[in-house]
Amino acid sequence: MRRTALLAGVAATALLLTACSSNDGGSTSTADKDMTAEISYAYWDATQEKAIDQIIEEFNEEYPNITVKTDVTPYSEFFGKLQTQASSDTLPDVFWMNGPNFQLYASNDKLEPVTDAVDPANYPQALNDLYSFDGTQYGVPKDYDTVAVFYNKALFDQAGVEYPTEGWTWDEFHEKAKAISDALKADGVYGTVNGLAGGQEMYYNTILQAGGEVISADSTTSGYDSPEAIAGLQFVADLIADGSAPTLQQLSDTPQNVWFVNGKSAMFWSGTWSNAELRESAIVDDIEVAPLPKDEREATVIHGLANVVAKSSKNKAAAQAFQNFLASDRAAVIQAEAGAALPAFNGTQEAFVASAPYNLQVFLDEAENSSFPYPVSKNTAAWNQLENELLPAAFSGERPVAEVAKELAEKMNEALAEENE
Amino acid sequence: MTSSAVHEVGVAAPAAAPAPPAGRSKRRGRSDLGWALVFVLPLFAGVALFYLWPIVRNFWFSFTEWGPFGDSEWVGFDNYAELITDATMGRAILNTLGYTAILLCGIPLAVYFASLLNRPGLRFASVFRAAFFLPYVAMPAAISMVWRIIYNGDFGILNYMLSLIGIDGPSWLSTEGVALVAVALVGVWISLGFNLIILSAGMKGIPVELYEAASLDGATRWKQFTTITVPLLTPSIFFVSVMTVISGFQLFDLLYALMGTTNPAIDKTQSVVYYFFTNIKTGDNGYAAAIGVVILLLVGIFTVLQFRLQKKWVTYV
Amino acid sequence: MSKRPVGARESNTIAYVVLTVGAVVMIFPFVWQLIMSLGTNADVISIPPSFWPSEFKPENYANVFDRVPFLSQFGVSVAITVIRTIGQLVLCSMAGYAFARMYFPFKGVVLALILAILMVPPQVYLLPQYQIIQGLGWLNTVIGIAAPGIFSAFGTFMMRQFFMGLPPELEEAARLDGANQFQIFWKIMLPLAKPGLSALAIITVLWSWNDLLWPLIVATSAESMPLSAGIATLTSGRTITDYPMLLAAAMMAMAPVLLLFLFMQRRVIDGVAFSGLK
Repeated sequence: MRRTALLAGVAATALLLTACSSNDGGSTSTADKDMTAEISYAYWDATQEKAIDQIIEEFNEEYPNITVKTDVTPYSEFFGKLQTQASSDTLPDVFWMNGPNFQLYASNDKLEPVTDAVDPANYPQALNDLYSFDGTQYGVPKDYDTVAVFYNKALFDQAGVEYPTEGWTWDEFHEKAKAISDALKADGVYGTVNGLAGGQEMYYNTILQAGGEVISADSTTSGYDSPEAIAGLQFVADLIADGSAPTLQQLSDTPQNVWFVNGKSAMFWSGTWSNAELRESAIVDDIEVAPLPKDEREATVIHGLANVVAKSSKNKAAAQAFQNFLASDRAAVIQAEAGAALPAFNGTQEAFVASAPYNLQVFLDEAENSSFPYPVSKNTAAWNQLENELLPAAFSGERPVAEVAKELAEKMNEALAEENE
Repeated sequence: MTSSAVHEVGVAAPAAAPAPPAGRSKRRGRSDLGWALVFVLPLFAGVALFYLWPIVRNFWFSFTEWGPFGDSEWVGFDNYAELITDATMGRAILNTLGYTAILLCGIPLAVYFASLLNRPGLRFASVFRAAFFLPYVAMPAAISMVWRIIYNGDFGILNYMLSLIGIDGPSWLSTEGVALVAVALVGVWISLGFNLIILSAGMKGIPVELYEAASLDGATRWKQFTTITVPLLTPSIFFVSVMTVISGFQLFDLLYALMGTTNPAIDKTQSVVYYFFTNIKTGDNGYAAAIGVVILLLVGIFTVLQFRLQKKWVTYV
Repeated sequence: MSKRPVGARESNTIAYVVLTVGAVVMIFPFVWQLIMSLGTNADVISIPPSFWPSEFKPENYANVFDRVPFLSQFGVSVAITVIRTIGQLVLCSMAGYAFARMYFPFKGVVLALILAILMVPPQVYLLPQYQIIQGLGWLNTVIGIAAPGIFSAFGTFMMRQFFMGLPPELEEAARLDGANQFQIFWKIMLPLAKPGLSALAIITVLWSWNDLLWPLIVATSAESMPLSAGIATLTSGRTITDYPMLLAAAMMAMAPVLLLFLFMQRRVIDGVAFSGLK
């Protein structure tokens, strides 16, 4: 019995393999609108559900017989699960990809190149580059995000603090945050709340603003031990140390967006992805957006997601038909109108800016004027993990920032050396 | 009675296997084999496929190193060598022992509550029993959610209560050191009902005459508790502690549901099984498998140890 | 309490007080969850805590259906629980009977092998189990989630202990009447084993309904998950922050088993006590 079951397993795998190879030939032909298939689409941001459901609905007007099943996994579990699925060639047919993970999947031959139906000229070149490996493009840019400061005008008024202005500095930001924390302490309100599980929302930006870099342009050395990077991290630690911002423990108990949405924080460093939640929140009328404060320079990381097709997909033609639809301006407009994300398709961003009463143009301006590429390498996850292990001690004041930064740089350099072996 | 059952497990293997001694079994040996196949094979086939074979596979995995997508190579004892010097693993073992120790502290509490529940003439006993048992029935993933809210450092009711008596409580589930205790207390909360039921049943087996005789001799209730109830209950206490140690070493669900994966305190609070899970998540399946083998060894050692020690304190009637 | 006179009736007062305090602590989280699930997000995130919903919102429960495929997850939970329970009742009672009453070569070794599993933390066999289920093409299916849980070492051991405790005379009589092993098992032993079977069924239902890690791994799409995994997936992400809705979903996920327990209290408690005694 045990043996037959195993045999069945082998047979199933063999079947799967033949299915894959037979599909390879016709993978670029996506013209057949009547094709019947069931494909899966995996993503992590539940706030984009409405937009995605609408995209699928319109996709089905074109391809009525392709069923798209969605699979939402929280970001914290998403890539762990994806890796398990990739190991067993059971990846979803179409799924979201981000910069830190892209090269790992592309270099291990897990992704299918985009079809000719996708015109890269429709998207910012930085994003096409982010999702190309060895000269081949694997991902269709879906959206892009920069980071800015959302603030709650009502809380500023209540604390008697002036609103942020264009071109404001770190010092001004810190003073306002501290003043609000002090004034509204009794209500448990903080001046600012910043996500620290990963660098995108906060410390990648401050490192850049101080004039530093997380990783060298050729992705071979860590930038963490430079005085500029240390200054960027120190700024974050200082905010926590004097009570301008909640501690890592508090953020773990209550995530940053919850603080802000419930009026328990006056400012919130976050990206375009937060719009979907904020525009429907109870405090929507009090929200305004300011660019990130500057230190040595104005800076924000820019990053974007892409839709990719799994190489192991059993319904590749259908999957690519869906990917092509996701690449269209129509899909971009749907996302933009739902306020779900700032679409990557050139010329469709206006709908996004109009999706909320506060000034979303800030994000677009930042992208154009002061954005820096999101730091990645071939195995970004390896040193991302080091960041998450080491930096909390620096932010909490448990260890001197400079000491932690040096250790992180050393270990990160080792990891980078390993991936380039 | 409980441990006699457990005894039999150990004894069964040598006694029953190679040469059935009695004439009875010899006489029926042949005909039973056919029926035994029919009765046992369906279960055994499933057990072999889904449990025994995976355990063997796990041993195999522990000697391999995995690439990011499941390609593995043989590395001999490398994983084990790395484990020996891995400080995180050492910490995880200590955490697991600490967690188990706190769970064990819940047993005296269960004995005490069970003794209250078994008092003659106590009314509403079944209502109390149901209340104590409720947490054991609840889905851990679901009930963890409200515990996260209760334990919340800023908005939780626990810290609010503490603030009323002038204590400034921490973020219970995300502060190193505190988090382990907080998780373990939920563990005690869940297991108390189970222990209580087992111990209660054990108490019912103690002859009433013993108490009556002791009463006539003028023994206080406390005296009766320490000289009759506790000693005669030791077999049940033993069973409960074996179960507690096994479940303590398997701590995962609660840690996962209460603390999550991005908690700043998780590195210093994780259990060995959680560390296993972390490695699976990052694709280090070979290393995870080696951790699995260590967990197996630890559970084995502690269970044997308990059986050895039981002779010193468990009383059989 | 050590100075209390023996057997005095009023000394139970302390017992009532202690038990009541204990019971309140045990039940409080459930009550708190119910209160919070009926209020607003601001009620959960407030200082001091609001002990009563500022605005009564039973629609939190209705909203669950918009955000989660609750009904299909409920269906999966019911299906896997039924399959596992029936499977265990059949397989464990048969195997348990064989181990208790039959004589066959390597019986001890086979039993020891099965029982050894009880010692092994489930995580150890997770990855290979996943590969097997995947090889069978059972990922995201009810049978794939249910399969390993049909085979229970614990249930087998429990049923063996139960059958060993039954008097052998009845079987002897039936055997003399010419009944075969299956007839003896089916007609005589099984009806006697009802308490054991009901205990096994109750324990399996409780365990299966609440089981988390395995479904989390083999079921990847929301529709194919049981409630336990669905709830855990909802809460571990930070993208959904509607706490009252999450609490309402959790309440609904727990409710079937809690209600089962409340209605069949005595049976459930006896069943669990039984599993410990044997």
